[in-house]
Amino acid sequence: MSGIPSIRLRLLKWLVGPILIVNLGAAALTYLLAWTPAQLAFDEGLRQDAAALAARVRSGGAGAMGTVAPDNGAGEASWAALHDGAGRLLAGAPQLAAPPRTGLLDARLDGEPVRVAVAEAGGGMRVSLARTTRARQGVQAAIVRSLVLLEVLFSLALVGLVWFSVGNGLSPLARLRARLDARGSADLAPLIDAGMPRELLPVVGAFNALLGRIDAGARAQDEFRANVAHQLRTPLAGLRLQLEWLAARHADDPETCRSLELMLGANERMIRQTNQLLSLERAEPNRFARARLAPLDLSDLVAESIQAFVEQAASRDIDLGFELAPAQVEGDRFLLRDLVDNLVDNALRYTPRGGRVTVGCAALAGGGSVLRIEDNGPGIPPHLRDQVFERFVRLDEGTHGSGLGLAIVRDIASLHGAELTLLDAEGGGAVFTVAFP
Amino acid sequence: MHVLLVEDDAVLADGLTRTLQGHGMQVELAGDGLQADLQLQRNPPQVAVLDIGLPGIDGFEVVRRLRARGDTTPVLLLTARDAVEDRVRGLETGADDYLVKPFATPELVARIRALGRRNAPKTGVLTLGNLVFDSGARRARIGDRPLELSAREWAVLEYLLQQAGRVVSKQQIIDTIAPWGEDLTLNAVEVYVSRLRLKLEGAGLALRTIRGFGYLLEAAPAA
Repeated sequence: MSGIPSIRLRLLKWLVGPILIVNLGAAALTYLLAWTPAQLAFDEGLRQDAAALAARVRSGGAGAMGTVAPDNGAGEASWAALHDGAGRLLAGAPQLAAPPRTGLLDARLDGEPVRVAVAEAGGGMRVSLARTTRARQGVQAAIVRSLVLLEVLFSLALVGLVWFSVGNGLSPLARLRARLDARGSADLAPLIDAGMPRELLPVVGAFNALLGRIDAGARAQDEFRANVAHQLRTPLAGLRLQLEWLAARHADDPETCRSLELMLGANERMIRQTNQLLSLERAEPNRFARARLAPLDLSDLVAESIQAFVEQAASRDIDLGFELAPAQVEGDRFLLRDLVDNLVDNALRYTPRGGRVTVGCAALAGGGSVLRIEDNGPGIPPHLRDQVFERFVRLDEGTHGSGLGLAIVRDIASLHGAELTLLDAEGGGAVFTVAFP
Repeated sequence: MHVLLVEDDAVLADGLTRTLQGHGMQVELAGDGLQADLQLQRNPPQVAVLDIGLPGIDGFEVVRRLRARGDTTPVLLLTARDAVEDRVRGLETGADDYLVKPFATPELVARIRALGRRNAPKTGVLTLGNLVFDSGARRARIGDRPLELSAREWAVLEYLLQQAGRVVSKQQIIDTIAPWGEDLTLNAVEVYVSRLRLKLEGAGLALRTIRGFGYLLEAAPAA
């Protein structure tokens, strides 16, 4: 999160900050509005009490000062004093200083804040009535408490609302991301802009243009590869025939024969690599989407390739057998032939001379079909089993393989939603199974 | 067998010519589509082997014109592209078979032979190894020794000879020799084949069993 600017955080910062400041101002105003009338009411009560006392002093003399109770019964302490015009204390509490003027003023008595009301008692005399401010403080505290509580609640509610609204406003972005996430890794089709908010349309447009350029590049690359492979096939076919003809002509010359055999072997490898490049291209997911799927029988597919298998097996003295039962699958005929060809080729290639390879297919009891290729070769140790399906991985450096065959098998199986597994055969060897849905 | 080969790549055309000649075929060569179209009319072959990618008019067009004339000469298409469209289009246009380059030579020869027999009269004489098989006269011999065969053995061997070099399944054998739904089991086919194998000893033939599938008859490699 650090360093990456976030639209959400930016919006929140610019919405929540000002809202909180405005809220704080409103709270200060509310405090003033609530506190000032209360203050005035308290002051008015005190002023009236002082005026009443002054009236009593005026009619009854200084003796009236004794009628002031030290406690007004509401938890407040009171003091009263009478001073003459020169500021001398005539009666009452000596703690009270001579008042400088009439009206209301603040003072401290016995370490406690008090409010003092001063009234004219006639003849230059002034009555001071001091009262503690406990009730006022109580009221003030209550006002502040309620305000703080309210403000906190309001602020939380506002932040919550803003958070929700920002999230809601950003939801088209989240939907766009979800749409992108849901795509296959090779899906380069343009994004559909229907339902996109106006603000996102330019972004989607730019993105689609980029996708278009990538797609065109990928296509050009595919076509180039396919063209090169196709161009190679005719000369390779010619070379093979010419070499075979030479080999037949010089069958009685062992040295020439050996050299020709090596050339034929190299030619075979080139043919195989070329074919694998092409089937790799066919197995590209974005090509597959355009491919036609049809109901097929695995046993027919195997039978179509059988001639080539039998010749390859014969050349390596391998006992190749079949256990074919009807096995319906839904698939692309050419890709599935590539899958069968590569699995059988792999088995024939890695089984030693004189070995045994069995190709089987069958319908599964619970629906679906399975293709099974079993050999009695060296098998594949468990820790290497994930690796064999990677491109360009060859477990045996001594054999001539492209390292593409099983990667092609894996790609084609996954395109068909089939499960590819590799297990030990009974008595050694490997069993590849492809379970189709 | 007279084969018209239409291929513009000189190396491949030369190799194919020698190879097919080596298998006893008379090969006539055409280098482009228009020439092929002319030769198909002037001197109809038993089988035409046509490359799709040709200068002038392509292989598809040659086949289309051929069929438009009502000519049923069997056509084997050779293609360097194995795109789905090409394969399907080739067969839809009226070609009888196709083979993707680079092909295995025995498979090419077997397919051309199979196509050649399709239009050939049933009375031909088939030879393989030391076996001479005269389907018209219903006589067969190995070298100078006559070969005695039951009717079913005869039918099985005839089919295997027609398909020599190609793997045939037991089911294909049943479908061919008992096409009218006669009751013939896979086991029965195995019995006929094992009897044939005994009787064909010394014929210079290899009758291989493809475990769980069928058989392959071919000339035994010179030992």
